[in-house]
Amino acid sequence: MNRVVISQIAPVTALGDGLDPLWQGLLAGKSGIAPLTRFNCENYISHYGACIDDLAVTSGGSLLDTILKRVALQLGDLPEDCRLLVASTKGEIDLLTSARRDGDDLPATVLAAPFLDKITRQFGITSKAININAACASSTIAVARAAALIAAGEADAVLVYAADLVSEFVFSGFSALQALSDQPCRPFDCQRNGLTLGEAGVAILLLSETAAQQRNETPLAYVSGWGMANDAHHVTAPARDGYGLIQACHQALSKSSIAPVDIAAINAHGTGTLYNDAMELTAFGSVFGESLPPLHGVKGSLGHCLGAAGGIEIAIGCRTLQEQILPPTVGCCDAEEAGQGKLQNVPQDISGDYLLCTNSGFGGINAAVILQRSR
Amino acid sequence: MKGWINGIGWVTAAGYSGGRSTDQQPLCSGSVVAPKRKQIFDKPDLRFGRLDEFSRIGLGAIALCLRDGGAEEWSDKRQIGIVAASRYGCLATDIGYLETMIPNSGALASPKLFVYTLPNSFLGEAALRFGLTGNTLVLNQEDETAGLAAVRFALEDLSWSEQPAVLAGICDLAPPVEFARADEYPGGLFMLIEKEPASAVASYGEVELRGDDIFFAGHQVADFRSLVGECLGMLIR
Repeated sequence: MNRVVISQIAPVTALGDGLDPLWQGLLAGKSGIAPLTRFNCENYISHYGACIDDLAVTSGGSLLDTILKRVALQLGDLPEDCRLLVASTKGEIDLLTSARRDGDDLPATVLAAPFLDKITRQFGITSKAININAACASSTIAVARAAALIAAGEADAVLVYAADLVSEFVFSGFSALQALSDQPCRPFDCQRNGLTLGEAGVAILLLSETAAQQRNETPLAYVSGWGMANDAHHVTAPARDGYGLIQACHQALSKSSIAPVDIAAINAHGTGTLYNDAMELTAFGSVFGESLPPLHGVKGSLGHCLGAAGGIEIAIGCRTLQEQILPPTVGCCDAEEAGQGKLQNVPQDISGDYLLCTNSGFGGINAAVILQRSR
Repeated sequence: MKGWINGIGWVTAAGYSGGRSTDQQPLCSGSVVAPKRKQIFDKPDLRFGRLDEFSRIGLGAIALCLRDGGAEEWSDKRQIGIVAASRYGCLATDIGYLETMIPNSGALASPKLFVYTLPNSFLGEAALRFGLTGNTLVLNQEDETAGLAAVRFALEDLSWSEQPAVLAGICDLAPPVEFARADEYPGGLFMLIEKEPASAVASYGEVELRGDDIFFAGHQVADFRSLVGECLGMLIR
């Protein structure tokens, strides 16, 4: 199995463009969550979201266009044979919404093919792109897929691009499901009562170790394991026993050839909903038992970035391993009992070489990726 | 990378069936009618009638595929994955949802429809009904032969994971008129691809991924429709 290197990361989030401002903002306990002005929220149960600053929209364009350009600006040259995996749950849903509201024809980019074509052109990639849609686990699965392709020798370079917007479409839906918190979300806190939506774009370049050496690219981290499993329980509610997440974690540990005790930290999904966070703590308790490492969630800072959530969290995980510091879980003031002592709203020192990153989503899907520290 | 096609099921313009029940090519142009519960399941299933059309078609095709492959019944959860290729995804459901959201500034947005504005939701419906705990996802690709992308993905997943089987196929409703194309075969069609030949039923044959090309019973297939035709042992006109 070829070793899989993460060599470039280019995020755009509510905490700024680039990994440095994102990291510094997280460590400082900042939150990008603010009152929403993008659309009228008066009929919704929340007025909060974590939107990216200064998202300009061109005539007839999507807000995603600007995110794509701002991500691309951060990336260095890509290998000529680079493949592209995209992870977006709703793509340019803002354009579809506008067209239906205004009675216009449907824009072509509501279809996957032109949407993907736009992204391949922006990154100068010549091969056909593929979009992976697995709800909020989309980009975690895309990174796992990229790693699997490289590990098996089927590819030397894969760019994962993940992006989703804070849109009225999704906001209204989660509001109708009573899943939004009326205040900024509080992942893993005893008083949590729902999620806050966020938006992000992120590109992650994965290379074979050989390709990374040939290009003189310094590994930011290695992807050592991954796993995916469905709960087979419910379309929107997680399995209370954490069945799928437990399976995904065990698969990732097995692929990494490590034991639970080797995991130095967990970047959990931590949506701030009652059932998701409880399910995760149950699953981690089952996998780790007494060796539960420090864990955190970033959605109190960035909101829930949907299909981009896993990509952003893997990016943060790389820096976490490099710095051996776990950012605070903003909003978690009184941690659930099962996470007490492991969840903090201040930075935590960690010590070790492996970090587990997990996401779960509608449709019952769960995904886990294990990152290995680069020394 | 090899696997055995042990079951085929579909809900398409040709109707709904498993591969052992007909010799008609199921991927054809025309309109698709979402099945009723009684056409797919013998037992009551209160949720089925509440699903959007996209999900009913996809779930129906998966159910018929598992039945065709002798794999419908289960007691313990099974590590079987699902890979569905889709050109339009749940666009029709998105539009339907917007019709509830736009009037009244979101006050009457339908939570029931919103759940199915993710194209992978029907995979969750299939997973919970049939105890499927493998990797489940929808692929959108800039590919004229999108169904083969799902088969490729499934064969790679079989090779690189512990999953003993993956359901691979397509699911699409007819597109809005402005996007209609000549080569549309709307509907859902899934194949049960396993690492080993089925023990309960006769396998359709072995499918193999060589490079980017798909071979069935030793012959290269050009597209998903041809693969289905080869499996059903018929000439494609």
